[in-house]
Amino acid sequence: MDLRAGDSWGMLACLCTVLWQVPAVPALNRTGDPGPGPSIQKTYDLTRYLEHQLRSLAGTYLNYLGPPFNEPDFNPPRLGVETLPKATVNLEVWRSLNDKLRLTQNYEAYSHLLCYLRGLNRQAATAELRRSLAHFCTSLQGLLGSIAGVMAALGYPLPQPLPGTEPTWAPGPAHSDFLQKMDDFWLLKELQTWLWRSAKDFNRLKKKMQPPATAVTLHLEARGF
Amino acid sequence: MVFEIQISRFKASDVIWTGNYSTTVTQNQVLHWSWESELPLECAIHFVRMRTMVDDARIPVPRFWSNWSSWKKADAQNSLGDHPLYVFPKDKLVEEGSDVTICYISRNHQDNISCYLEDVLTFGKQLDQSVWAFELKNISFLRKTGTNFYCQGQGVPEGVVLFVSKVLEEPKNFSCETRDLKTLTCTWDPGDDTGLIQLPSYTLFESFSRKKTLCKHRNRCDWQVTQDSQEMYNFTLVAENYFRKRSVSILFNLIHGVHPVAPYNLFPKNVSATNATMTWKVHSIGNNSALLCQLQLLGEGKVIQQHNISIRVNGEYLLSELEPDTEYMARVRCAYADHFWKWSELISQNFTTAEAAPSEAPDVWRDVMFVSGHPTVTLFWKPLSKVHTHGKILFYNVVVENLDEASSLEVLSVPAPANSTKVTLNQSSYQIHVTAHNSVGPSPASTVAISGHPGNENVEEGRINGTEDGFPMSWKPQSRNATGYVVEWCDGPQNLPCVLQWKNLGPTTTGTVISSGAFRPGVRYNFRIYEISTKRMAHLLEKKTGYLEELAPSYNPQVVPNNLTSHSFTLSWKDYPTESQTGFIQGYYVYLKSKAGEKCHRGFEKTVLPDNSVCCKYTIDNPDQKTFVMKDLQPESVYEFFVTPYTSAGEGPMDDFRKVTTPDEYSHILIHIILPMIFCVLVIMIACYLKSQWLKDKCYPDIPDPYKSSVLSLIKSKENPHITIMNVNDCVPDAIEVVNKPEGSKIQFTGTRKSPTETKGTKPAYLDLLPTEKNYSGPGPCICFENFTYNQAASDLGYCGHFPVTSQAPHCPLGPLTSPENLLKTLEQNYMNSLGEIPAGEANLNYVSQLASPVSGDKESPPTNPPEPALCSEYKMQMAIPLGLASPPPSENSSLSSTTLLDPGEHYH
Repeated sequence: MDLRAGDSWGMLACLCTVLWQVPAVPALNRTGDPGPGPSIQKTYDLTRYLEHQLRSLAGTYLNYLGPPFNEPDFNPPRLGVETLPKATVNLEVWRSLNDKLRLTQNYEAYSHLLCYLRGLNRQAATAELRRSLAHFCTSLQGLLGSIAGVMAALGYPLPQPLPGTEPTWAPGPAHSDFLQKMDDFWLLKELQTWLWRSAKDFNRLKKKMQPPATAVTLHLEARGF
Repeated sequence: MVFEIQISRFKASDVIWTGNYSTTVTQNQVLHWSWESELPLECAIHFVRMRTMVDDARIPVPRFWSNWSSWKKADAQNSLGDHPLYVFPKDKLVEEGSDVTICYISRNHQDNISCYLEDVLTFGKQLDQSVWAFELKNISFLRKTGTNFYCQGQGVPEGVVLFVSKVLEEPKNFSCETRDLKTLTCTWDPGDDTGLIQLPSYTLFESFSRKKTLCKHRNRCDWQVTQDSQEMYNFTLVAENYFRKRSVSILFNLIHGVHPVAPYNLFPKNVSATNATMTWKVHSIGNNSALLCQLQLLGEGKVIQQHNISIRVNGEYLLSELEPDTEYMARVRCAYADHFWKWSELISQNFTTAEAAPSEAPDVWRDVMFVSGHPTVTLFWKPLSKVHTHGKILFYNVVVENLDEASSLEVLSVPAPANSTKVTLNQSSYQIHVTAHNSVGPSPASTVAISGHPGNENVEEGRINGTEDGFPMSWKPQSRNATGYVVEWCDGPQNLPCVLQWKNLGPTTTGTVISSGAFRPGVRYNFRIYEISTKRMAHLLEKKTGYLEELAPSYNPQVVPNNLTSHSFTLSWKDYPTESQTGFIQGYYVYLKSKAGEKCHRGFEKTVLPDNSVCCKYTIDNPDQKTFVMKDLQPESVYEFFVTPYTSAGEGPMDDFRKVTTPDEYSHILIHIILPMIFCVLVIMIACYLKSQWLKDKCYPDIPDPYKSSVLSLIKSKENPHITIMNVNDCVPDAIEVVNKPEGSKIQFTGTRKSPTETKGTKPAYLDLLPTEKNYSGPGPCICFENFTYNQAASDLGYCGHFPVTSQAPHCPLGPLTSPENLLKTLEQNYMNSLGEIPAGEANLNYVSQLASPVSGDKESPPTNPPEPALCSEYKMQMAIPLGLASPPPSENSSLSSTTLLDPGEHYH
């Protein structure tokens, strides 16, 4: 790149102009409220932490259920009737979701999953497993609160549970023990998928909420100057 | 009535079971009978029919069966849904070790279904087109969440969970007791857990009162004692689960099972040095029944006193015979006094008794050093044992009492925990008293006596051998009045500071074993045995030294080879300390290796070293011999040697051999002959150099130079300025005048040497130095020395003095006249006289020219050898001899000859 004296003067003038305009860039002009950015980041971090925590918990719990549930290649087809919120969704559908819908679905899913998880906790026979499940439930409760915080920061209302649709844990006699074990298996699996999806959702949201890249570049140049 | 029942499966004709059921029936009664199928009923249609017969003794035989009822169908499959696969039985509870049959119903016949027990593929038996059965034998407990059995085709897996229960055990160690006669508590050991979430139930049943209670715990149950003064109880404990019922019974007397609650408020009261009163309280039982309490006193964890006291509410006991300043633990427990069954739990309380004065004198010993004739005493004492201190020792009092001066007392206070002090004394006798003090008072005194003079230290040292127990030693008492003996030693090795130790022994003891945990093998310990007199004075009795266990020497001496000759050398290791070794050195081994021969020298023996090499070994059995001469060696040979000491435990470590090469045989000649010769020559040379002037003066003194004479300057300045020194060049000797030629004598100059004997007896001859015209051959190349000793007058007159020359004249003339000083003096005198005073004819100085050619002295005979120029360079010492002395008429015997007679080849310097 060939720079002449005239170009240098031109660049300097341009930089001075940009610096003059820096206070006017909204992304760099935040002095008080940091916005939803940090809370999205925290939610994302919590999601990743829960992913890690669930890996350990699921291993212990599936061993507690016994084979075939603790076998790594055990991947049975799901039953047609599902009470668990499904995390898997068509990619196009997922892309078409807006932020509000994304956050709402996350919030609703974890509300349900948390309830089922508490039922799991009641069933667990060993004290250690109960302790691990209780700890995970507390963390998941924290994630739920964090999602609610992000939604509030973005001005979205929290979804109201419809009367009669509140999930309840019922160890009914209609459910055989084998199916119950299967439900526990799917609960943990669904939870894993939801956490993975949430990490992707919050990462996307985090990027979206970040200031424009040009403004950052200009800011860095200004600091370097 | 008797009912015969038949059950068939799948088809009515396939009867699988037939059985009878007898019961007493009443009118309109509905009977219940159950049958358990090993195959889940959901998997197969079952049919049942029955017939009946009266079975009553009142009705006479023959009795007849009724007709069979019609087949009743039991079809559980109707209640199933539309799932393609079902597995039964659902969530079955089985006991460990039993057999279970599992079946599945597949609606899709094309589906290939596999079934697994846990993760193991299981093969079953096809019962129907769509029904398969799996018989699981001797099923075992795996986990509380059950054993999984599942089948999977194309669709969703379907399965069952078998909850396996371990066999319920019979309760063990079932017993009951009461703590307060109000409540009974029965306990038992339930055995292993059945492994199910559903726990077995435990029920306590009492047969006399016919009461029962469901136990809240699986190993304990409470029973309220009623007020109807029931003493006997017949308890039955029933353990029950889904499969089994286990029971165990005991007959229990309430009074025989009283286990009182632990007492409380145990406190010491009025604690003195030797006594303490303990008080405590108990919970009342029944109507203030009596309790038997046991009070234990523990010291250092051991029970030292035990007392049983019967009380109702409050307990109190006086503990005596306690040790002062000692921590004790008192503990108490109680049992039902009417019938002992079990002690209550213990409660305990610690307390410490008060202090008292120490009960024993400290064990004191001393170490006396005489510095400048004054004894310096270091007193050592051992700390009193805990049993005797009776409190914390605060200080030690040392009272020094001079026995020679009645009123002289010196008191030192040494604060604890010091265990020694130093006292410097005079040359008097002393008694030193040491007491230990605590807060209450002093201990009895311990006394040692010190003499102002050193005792007898010249006691022969004996050796002792240590054993596993220590050092056993004995001694001979010297006096009958000994009050005891003391053995002292140092605990550490000799090179460490001495930690003085001692042991007191009674007066009747003549032997002991000294043991110490500090004793180590391979360390020399020195013991001194003292006898203690009635005046507490210690006298050295014996000295002992020894090792607990002798070890082989740890290192070898530094051996220096010296006095090396061609046939021998000497090994020396005088610096090797034998006293500080790890055992008594008994001698030394000298190892010798030689390359020359394999035969050992005399006194050596052949030995094999650990490295399998062979060498010669000589044993020195005298530990004080620290030199060794290796003899009979070969010159110019390499020898390797190695010296190691040995003790009773073995010899020192094998080190490297040192090499010595013997020199050749003649090298000593160089040393003994040539070197002294060189030395002598050097001495002579140095002596010659130092005495060279003297030699020169004696053998060839300097020729005086008339020109440089101080006399000349004197003459010149004062007398006659015209006086000059004769120049030799002016004097042309051209003739030799024979002044006094004896007749018949004829000196022949044959040019050959004549021996002094030949010239002996010749008459003195005078050589005329005046030139003659006949024989003058012109001025030759002679060098003439100017000689101050010349008489110029005589010269001028053409008179040359004659000098009688003896045959021995060429040698250094000795005597007073020939010394340079005398000569010069004489010359001076003559010279002064010659200044006009001496007539020419009276010139009395004869001159013999040193440059005179060896011409014939005979005037008549022509010179056979003309003067040769080469000969003129010879210098002959000139001599001036006073005429008076030189002129005595030569006798016949005087052997004078002219120097000119000398052979030219023979010079005298």
